[in-house]
Amino acid sequence: MTQPQVNGHLRQDQISAFIDGELSHSEATEIQQHLADCHSCALRVLSATQLKTATARAAQRFSAPPEALARLTAQLRPQEPKKTARIYSFRSVAWAAMAAALVLAASLIGWRQTRQANTLSAELLDHHLATLSSGASPEVISTDRHTVKPWFQGKLPFSFNLPDALPADTTLKGGDLAYLNGQPAALLLFTIHKHEVSVFLTQRSASPMVTVLPGTQSGFAIRHATTHELRIIAVSDVNPADLEVLVSALVEAQTPR
Amino acid sequence: MPSPFHSASFEQLALPLLPSLYSHAFWLSRNHADAEDLVQEAISKALRAFDSFQSGTNFKAWIFRILRNTFLTSRTGIAASRTVFLEDRSDLPDTIDANPTPEEHLIRLDNQAAINRALDDLHPDLREVLLLCDVEELKYKDIALVLDVPIGTVMSRISRARRTLHQQLKLQLGESL
Ligand SMILES: [Zn+2]
Repeated sequence: MTQPQVNGHLRQDQISAFIDGELSHSEATEIQQHLADCHSCALRVLSATQLKTATARAAQRFSAPPEALARLTAQLRPQEPKKTARIYSFRSVAWAAMAAALVLAASLIGWRQTRQANTLSAELLDHHLATLSSGASPEVISTDRHTVKPWFQGKLPFSFNLPDALPADTTLKGGDLAYLNGQPAALLLFTIHKHEVSVFLTQRSASPMVTVLPGTQSGFAIRHATTHELRIIAVSDVNPADLEVLVSALVEAQTPR
Repeated sequence: MPSPFHSASFEQLALPLLPSLYSHAFWLSRNHADAEDLVQEAISKALRAFDSFQSGTNFKAWIFRILRNTFLTSRTGIAASRTVFLEDRSDLPDTIDANPTPEEHLIRLDNQAAINRALDDLHPDLREVLLLCDVEELKYKDIALVLDVPIGTVMSRISRARRTLHQQLKLQLGESL
C-alpha cells in the first residue's frame, strides 16, 4: 500500500483499500492528505464509494424467500446435544466486553435485514454503532465549537454553524468525516445524559434520494431535519425528546442572524 | 485474544447468518432451489466440522468458505468452473490516466437497472469477491480465507471488479453525465 503513487495520484487499489477500511491509520492519513489537495482523486473516492453502495443495493435484490428461511431455521434449531465451541478461561472483565460485542453483533444483524427496506437508516446505525464499538477517537477531539467547526473547512463542499449554547447536559465530543448515502458528511459526536449521539450533516442539494426515516428502530431514535442548505440526521439511544431538542438547536444555529 | 463467542452454540452463530448465506448461495448458483440446497448442505457440513472451528477466528468467514466449497463440488458449481478461468493479473501495473479528470470518474449511479445489469454481467469470480466485500462486509484477510487465495489476489480482484463495473456502466449509460 505504500508504494509510490502513480503520477502523484492515488492508484485504484489504494482507493479500494481506503474505502473498504483496509488501511492502517497512517496510510489512511496519507490518503486523506492527498484528497484534501486533489479534487480529481477526491471525486474518484466519492465515485468509488457510490459504486460500493450501489453494488450492495444491486446484490440485495435476491433475498431468501420466508419459507426457505423457515426451513433452514428449522434445520438449525433441534441440535441435541448442543455442540459448543472450545472453552477458554478468562478474567471476568472480558465478559462484559464479550456481552457488549454480542449485543452489538445482534443489533447489527437485525439492522442488516431491514437494510433493503431502509438503506439509509441502516447505514446511519452502522455508522453510529461503529463509532461506539471501535473505541477509536474521532479525528478532531474537542468540546470547543471554535475548534471543531474550522476543522471541517475545506474538507467538505459545504459549511455549517454550531450553536452558541447547547441544550442542558449535552456535550460536544468531537467530529469526523463520514460518507453517508454516498455523500460526504460531517459527523458530530455529542453526549446527552451520557448517551452517545451521532449527528450527520450533509448538503441538502446533493441529496439524490431522501429515504423516509423511521422515528425509532431497535431502541435507537433517529431524528431528521432540513434547513435551506443542510440535511441534519441524528441517531442515538437517548430518549427521542432530548434528541429532538439537540436537532432543533442545530437547525436554529443555521439560521442567519 | 479470547473469542467473544465463548461457548456460543453452533445454532447461535449460524442462525443470524442464514439470510446472508442464502443470498450469497443464490448469487453463486443463480437459482432459488439450488441456493436452499447449498445452504442446507453447508450447514450440515459446518455442524459436523464445528469441532475444528477455531474459537476466536471469524465464524462468518469459516462458514462462507464451507458454503463456497459446497458450491464448487455441486453440479452447478462443476458446470460453472468450466467457464473461462480468470487470470489474476496482479503483476500488471494498475492502469490509470496520467491526469484523471472528473468526467472520467463520475458516472450516473442513480440508474439502478443499469447497475443491476452490470453486476449480473460481471465475471463470477469478480462478482464473488465484490459481494464478499461490499455486501457481506468481510475484511480482505477473511475474504482471502473464504476464497483460499492470497490477500494480494483479493485486492487486485476487488480493484479489477470495480474497474470493470465502472467501465460497463460507462458503456451502458454513455459518456454523458
Ligand atoms: Zn490525485
